[in-house]
Amino acid sequence: MRGLLALTVFGGGIAQATIAPALRVADVVPDIPLIVVVLLALRRGPEFGCLGGFAAGLLQDAVGGGLLGVQACTKALMGFTIGALGGRLWVTQPLVQVPGLVLLSLGEGLARFLLLKIFHFPAPFGQLMTYVVLPQALYNGFLGAAFVFALTWTQARRGEA
Amino acid sequence: MRIRRLAVLGLVVAVCLVLLTVQTRGHAAPAADLIALITAPVQKALTGVHRVSLGMWTTYADWKNIHIENHRLRDENHRLRVEALVVTETLQENGRLRRLLDLRTRMPLDTLPGEIIAREWGGWVRSLTVNRGRADEIRRLTAVISPDGLVGRVVEVRPGTSVVQVLTDPASTVGAHVLRTRTPGLVEGEPRGTVRFKYMARDGALAVGDVVVTSGQGGLFPRGVPIGRVRNLDQKTTGLFHHAILEPLVDLASIDEVLLVTGNRSTDVSAHFAIPSGG
Repeated sequence: MRGLLALTVFGGGIAQATIAPALRVADVVPDIPLIVVVLLALRRGPEFGCLGGFAAGLLQDAVGGGLLGVQACTKALMGFTIGALGGRLWVTQPLVQVPGLVLLSLGEGLARFLLLKIFHFPAPFGQLMTYVVLPQALYNGFLGAAFVFALTWTQARRGEA
Repeated sequence: MRIRRLAVLGLVVAVCLVLLTVQTRGHAAPAADLIALITAPVQKALTGVHRVSLGMWTTYADWKNIHIENHRLRDENHRLRVEALVVTETLQENGRLRRLLDLRTRMPLDTLPGEIIAREWGGWVRSLTVNRGRADEIRRLTAVISPDGLVGRVVEVRPGTSVVQVLTDPASTVGAHVLRTRTPGLVEGEPRGTVRFKYMARDGALAVGDVVVTSGQGGLFPRGVPIGRVRNLDQKTTGLFHHAILEPLVDLASIDEVLLVTGNRSTDVSAHFAIPSGG
């Protein structure tokens, strides 16, 4: 559990710091820690998702230089939610994965905005959603689906072996 | 279990809210310092990993580009070399044909150009096959020349081709004389692929570097066609005849085009050949 948590935090953080800039499309960068948290929450449940999301978000907050605790809180919430709902979702289907991750990313963005709004965040909601949250959510959806597909394929190969 | 999960969630959210509240109330410095103390090494490590990864990626991308460029340049180089080879070959052929045409034009003889299409280069027989035959009214014993000198004679005529016995053929004999001294003799081919000049011994008759040309005796070859240059003199024999080894002026092994002398052969043509100085 501790090892996986560390992996979540550092793996996601490293990926966000290293791979994400290279994956930038039209100035949109995917939120890799969120995808990793979702994947781990689906496998390990809400508790793990919550703690993993907290750790990953806290690291992102620290690295990003914003308010400490914002992403920690939203990612913990998302990790918990997806961990709790995971058993009821047909997550191996791409038709569920892509829109699911898009909705989750939108939810995370919305939660982050609301949380920041409490602390007088100045950016307008419309612009933020149009230019930041929605493009990133779409990107996360497709990238997450690709992750899931790669994981499923790897497991299938391992099963065959 | 469910209560524990909710408790974990509540704790996490509470920690976050405390963190946020502490920061917004101006007491952020100690908390931020503490977090910075923990995260700074991680940030440094991440930055290091980022830089290394980026460097590796850039190196890989550069390498891949260089690899692709290298392939492209190799292909282009190969194509250009082939093209250059074709151009060089064409230029050489053009040069040879020009020389042949030039000789044909200035020579007071009726000639027909021919192309070598086969070679027999064993020790027993040394011959060339020319793409001119009975259809071109070529006859047996037709003299065959090139811009450099004598090649040989036609020994066999077929419908579309002729077989030319070259000077170096062991059965080849050509009446000749030394251009400088007019010393007469016979040029004979040898099995080892060389040519020798057999002449009557007398002082000063021959020197290394002398050019031997056809004598025109017998009416087979036109008079004055260069055959070869004296390379060695064999004067050890005490007989009536001496021998000299000749270096043929025509590179018989690589010649590609020839002229077949079809008409009058009695004219002296030595003035129409550019005999290279040497020896």
